[in-house]
Amino acid sequence: METSVTQRSLGQPGLRSDLRALMAVFRREWTIFRRYPSWIIALFIWPLIFPMMYILTARALSGPDGSGLAVFMKTTGASDFIGYIVIGTTVWMWQNIVLWDVGFSLRDEQMRGTLESNWLSPTWRFSYLLGRTGPQVISMFMFITITAIEFGLLFGVRLNGSPWMILLMMLVAIPSIYGLGFAFASLVITVKEANAFVFLLRGLVMIFCGITFPVSLLPGWMQSISKWLPQTYLIHGMRAAAFSNAGLAELASDLIPLLLFGIFWFVVGYFTFLWMERHARKTGAIGQY
Amino acid sequence: MKDLAIEAKQLVKKFPARPGTGDKKAEGEPSPAPKKGIWPFGRKEPKAMFTAVNGVDLQIERGEIFGLLGPNGAGKSTTIRMLCTLLEPTSGTAQVNGFDIVKQANDVRRSLGTVLAGERSIYWKLTGRENLEYFAALYHIPQAIATKRVEELLERMELKERANELVEKYSTGMRQRVAISKALLAQPPILLLDEPTLGLDPQAARRVRELIAELKQEGHTILLTTHYMEEADLLSDRIGIIDTGKVIALDTPEGLKRRIDQKEIIRLELTGWHDDLADKLKSISGIEHLTTRQQGEADLWEVNLHAQNSRAALPRIVESISGNGTRLVNMNIVKPSLEDVFIQLTGKALRD
Repeated sequence: METSVTQRSLGQPGLRSDLRALMAVFRREWTIFRRYPSWIIALFIWPLIFPMMYILTARALSGPDGSGLAVFMKTTGASDFIGYIVIGTTVWMWQNIVLWDVGFSLRDEQMRGTLESNWLSPTWRFSYLLGRTGPQVISMFMFITITAIEFGLLFGVRLNGSPWMILLMMLVAIPSIYGLGFAFASLVITVKEANAFVFLLRGLVMIFCGITFPVSLLPGWMQSISKWLPQTYLIHGMRAAAFSNAGLAELASDLIPLLLFGIFWFVVGYFTFLWMERHARKTGAIGQY
Repeated sequence: MKDLAIEAKQLVKKFPARPGTGDKKAEGEPSPAPKKGIWPFGRKEPKAMFTAVNGVDLQIERGEIFGLLGPNGAGKSTTIRMLCTLLEPTSGTAQVNGFDIVKQANDVRRSLGTVLAGERSIYWKLTGRENLEYFAALYHIPQAIATKRVEELLERMELKERANELVEKYSTGMRQRVAISKALLAQPPILLLDEPTLGLDPQAARRVRELIAELKQEGHTILLTTHYMEEADLLSDRIGIIDTGKVIALDTPEGLKRRIDQKEIIRLELTGWHDDLADKLKSISGIEHLTTRQQGEADLWEVNLHAQNSRAALPRIVESISGNGTRLVNMNIVKPSLEDVFIQLTGKALRD
């Protein structure tokens, strides 16, 4: 039986409570993720399928004796054309999955009908995006690890560098990739639909960031655009770390722009979220389907 | 001075009207004059606005159940959404538990337990227990208290046996009990219940009504919106009737009914109803309002007439309905209900 009600609730505000709430969002999302069996397909099958399209195209274009591959490797400076393609396509898939997963995370909650019930609580609202991002980051690191294992076992791709440097490149890229996802998530709540934006952005990454070819092949004006996309530095840096045994000094030219882009996109993501939150309170956008 | 749990002063909420719906506005509000210049570029037409809530005043005392009654689209849910800080008012102010809904939104959220209409406010891929543990963390309840509280509520709501099953396997009534438990987790002083029995079977709805009555006994202030008259009548200490975004009457259920005490309700059951008959009946002297409702699938209609003096009007009523394929099946003179009060005030039935 209930005790008599006072004018104060049982909630105790504070940083610790907000951190517990953030962890609760993280745990909720991880539990729900595990309860949809389709994650097995996403983690084990998809890493093979998408790069295969480019790998087989490269084989077909290399000629009957495979001489074209030697030209390709000379142009790119890569020692392993499969590894070269896999890194580019995996970064593309990372950004693509983040745009769908994180970008549509609030919209998914809205469609489920649970967004308003979260919004009614006194929790710091950015937790709903941050908490949801945690399991996404873990699943993407699993995805990338599985990609490396599968291509190692099936195609003999071998790393010729420090896995710690690859990990460092990925960690430094997180604020850029997820900051963009946060900004997206907030816009999707406002405009309700953002497929066209996702297609545009992933198209830009596909063409301008050199997922299967060196950016130096692009005309000058296109190379200028490449410099404004953080994925260009991530792909370049990961290839250097994985196959050229690049150390911190060699990777600095990729790490520093990635850090700067990270700060920029994280701030943009956060402020877009604040703007959306304010806008939603005025227009009722949170409750609209 | 009254100890108020909720106080709203002239709350107004306007939304941009959706394209094609035109400029909907509450009665009496002037339309904005369209601005047209000679130069066709660079000047925007003013946005058409739809007024959902139009100057609502509320004073809800601590410990009372206040029913907000109105048909769909009357402004009930928009009012609730403003009070629980999901929406910011266009103008006007409101305080919940002494906190301003705009400037102290987080304190307001901490003071409230809210059940919004619809059953999808909880996670179907989580168990009942996981849902409550999750929301306990969102409401900043310390872990040790939260664990105890979740168990108490599962027990109280008769959910304990199935607490570890996914909510997707629950019945609608069970899901609603989880949603209510969620609202009660932090033991908030004020509860906002938006259509809490909507879509429930009669037994589950009765259980929820009993629970609401118990919560009042425990000292919760409850703002209840419903479009079920009987529910509002049964539970509410006071009722506000809202229509086209305005509170058009506010009193105790008895007080509201007394307003038309001098009136009588003639309830007819007819077969062979046709629209011409409505005009005939309305033209009878002393008849003020007429509403009709089809009874199920059959050609059986319930017709309610508000009359000043039923004895004087009855012969003319019987005369009007005889012939032309219409047959009188039953006739009663009944005491006015809240529904009749609503008809008297708005000229339409609640479910219109």
